[in-house]
Amino acid sequence: MRINDLIPFRWVQDPRWLLAFVIGTLVCIVTFVANLLIAEINSGNWWGITYGTVATLLMLGDVLYAVRRRFLEYNLGKSKTWVQFHLYGGTLFAILVLMHSGFRLPVGTMNWLLWSLSIWVTVSGLVGVFLQRWIPTVLASGLSTEVVYDRIPELVAQIRARSEAMIEECTETVRDFYRTNLAQSLAVPQLRAIYYVDVTGGIQTKLRQFEYLRPLLTKDDREKLESLESMYRTKLELDAHYTLQRPLRWWLHTHVPLALALVLLVALHLYAVLVY
Amino acid sequence: MIAGKTQFKRLEQYKDRWSSFGTGTGIIDISEKPTPEVLKQYPLFKEFDDKFLERISPDVSIARWERNAVLFEEGSYIDIAFFVVSGEVEVSFQKQSSGTEQLPIFSRSRTMFAEAGGAQAPTGRGKTVFQAQVDRQKRGTSIAFLTSIDFDLPSDGTLKLGPGEILGEIGAMSGWPQSVTARTSTRSELVQIRVAALRMMRKRSSALKNRLDSLYRERALSSQLKTTPIFSSLGDEFVQSLVQSVELVSCEPDEVIAREGEPCDALYLVRSGFVKLSQRLGEGSIVVSYVSKGSVLGDAELLIDGIGSWIHTATSKEYSELVKISRVDFTRLLARYPGVESGLWSSVVNRLKEAGNSKRVIRQSEFIDTALNKGLVEGNSILVIDLSVCTRCDDCVRGCADTHEGIPRFVREGDKIGNFLITRACYHCEDPVCLVGCPTGAIRRADVGDVVAIDEKICIGCTTCANNCPYDAITMFDTGEKWPEDMIPEGLRGKDKQIATKCDLCYQDPAGPACVRSCPHGCAFRVGDVKEFKSLLWKEVGA
Repeated sequence: MRINDLIPFRWVQDPRWLLAFVIGTLVCIVTFVANLLIAEINSGNWWGITYGTVATLLMLGDVLYAVRRRFLEYNLGKSKTWVQFHLYGGTLFAILVLMHSGFRLPVGTMNWLLWSLSIWVTVSGLVGVFLQRWIPTVLASGLSTEVVYDRIPELVAQIRARSEAMIEECTETVRDFYRTNLAQSLAVPQLRAIYYVDVTGGIQTKLRQFEYLRPLLTKDDREKLESLESMYRTKLELDAHYTLQRPLRWWLHTHVPLALALVLLVALHLYAVLVY
Repeated sequence: MIAGKTQFKRLEQYKDRWSSFGTGTGIIDISEKPTPEVLKQYPLFKEFDDKFLERISPDVSIARWERNAVLFEEGSYIDIAFFVVSGEVEVSFQKQSSGTEQLPIFSRSRTMFAEAGGAQAPTGRGKTVFQAQVDRQKRGTSIAFLTSIDFDLPSDGTLKLGPGEILGEIGAMSGWPQSVTARTSTRSELVQIRVAALRMMRKRSSALKNRLDSLYRERALSSQLKTTPIFSSLGDEFVQSLVQSVELVSCEPDEVIAREGEPCDALYLVRSGFVKLSQRLGEGSIVVSYVSKGSVLGDAELLIDGIGSWIHTATSKEYSELVKISRVDFTRLLARYPGVESGLWSSVVNRLKEAGNSKRVIRQSEFIDTALNKGLVEGNSILVIDLSVCTRCDDCVRGCADTHEGIPRFVREGDKIGNFLITRACYHCEDPVCLVGCPTGAIRRADVGDVVAIDEKICIGCTTCANNCPYDAITMFDTGEKWPEDMIPEGLRGKDKQIATKCDLCYQDPAGPACVRSCPHGCAFRVGDVKEFKSLLWKEVGA
């Protein structure tokens, strides 16, 4: 199957991995049912230990993706393959953790921590996947500019500087308009929740104020106003990028540190199980 | 690491931009910006007035070369024509040294359309440029008409050119690599004219135009016709008569070659450049297709009974060279060799289909127009990012930087077409203008496919390639070092060391480009040509 045939399925980037995950989940279910019929549900017997071991191995595989990102220069396979493993393997990990705990709430502080961290890390990961699928579609749907997130403050500063330089050459009417209606908006990148609902964030409405002013100006000022309008439109689009790209970065803070904590706790858990 | 003096030894003869084409030592002296009086001493310039000569003089020089100096090598790109004033120049096919088999860098295995383990299609090494082109044609690409033949030489043959002869002009004018190696066989004096000046001279002087045309007929055209599949059945005698009767047409950018509705009187073979085809629609017009070198224009009009007049307006998008076969000659050709007609029909059908689609789906028309304007038609490997999938993680840029000592070789910015971002990464063009004028030969076709790469060891940071690239795909990188005190050219000594940097498609890495490999969502991919791009775009809109 050619990859470009799959492009429209933005939510499932590679159906082969989904298929593998479904098969893995079915195997888990069948195994767990067999476990129910044959033996006691207990994290300490061979069934439970096997669930825990497979879950640990999957977790270690998932962690390797973070390591792989540090070594992009080496030919360690496509990043996309690693991500798919990270995603589906991580979800399967959570299922195996639940099987390991017998689908019961854990007892004891350590077990609570392990269980809740496992669930948290998995859910935050899935939230990240949702954001990564949803936000790019929104960004691509209505914005004409494309920008790297980290450059937004710098670009906004450039726009502000150019606007202010231009305003100096305009009549008092335009200057007044700029000070009253635009200066504050052009000062810094702004976060606006409206972009999550409407990516254009009412840009047309905001630009209408230019229409009211235009007939009152001289030809020279009208040309400057047009440039100003264009810069303002770009700034609003940068705000949309700033607002929408932000969660794509920030969700990582809810996922990565706790995932690292989970790895440490699992190591401690293994030590405790093996030694005591 | 700063290179030592020995590494720059080969630069010694490159005392100015005029020696850029030389690959060995050999220039004794060279004049730059000769005065009209000086130029008028040469028969070539006698017919031009002083004002005109003053205008073209920055692009003309007179150089004296040592015996056995290489003027240009087979496969090199030059933008200069040489007129022999005295001495003798020998041109020959110089087989490139046999090397390892080429990696098919532009095969589908390097684009998103690849099947795993895509078929290897070795090309070229150990063959002449000419033979490589013939092979490419046989492999079934769309090239219908070869263009890069400067001399009709027998394989391993040589030709001596004496005073009054011209060389290099065909490749220079068409932007194709030279098909032969030229070397002085005696101490020689040559007038060297850059393409810009040559075009102006040719436009102004019908005598010069006729002379250049006649050289093209004599040296190249019959070989081109004979090796073009659709004309392969033509007898030698017929080819010779055709060579003499065809008209050679040169077009300026935006020049109209044919107007929709006007009588079609000829078949055109495109030697170089791009020709936009547009049709009237309502009050305006839309771009329905384009043709490029190797393609044919006017076939539908001449083959389909009852059309008779041009169905498109054909406009040259840039400097284009065409071969015009008159309706009479074409009819005579078809009557004698009916097989030619069947060869032309497939291109007719494809073009009519494309024109129909463009009228039906306006977005296709817009895309063709954009592809022509943005140079996508030139690209062999365009880095495209699907913005509706891209999470802006920048791993593509980081992957590129990590693979190239921390310096990314592309910018994740550029034009948007639909949801696709055309990044500022090298397109590895069919006709790479960046190769023209490099004073050290640092930028060149790599030994792999059509990859254009920069040898950083011999780049002197002159910015010529960066300025030449129309797509801003070459950037200058400040190394933070100074050029050494024994640096040649002397002008650079002690100055900040800048070098040009660009995407080399990670051609030395069998895993392919790092940008594509590093993308965690598979949204960065290489598009091999504009047709692949179009099909991708169509899939997106569901057209």
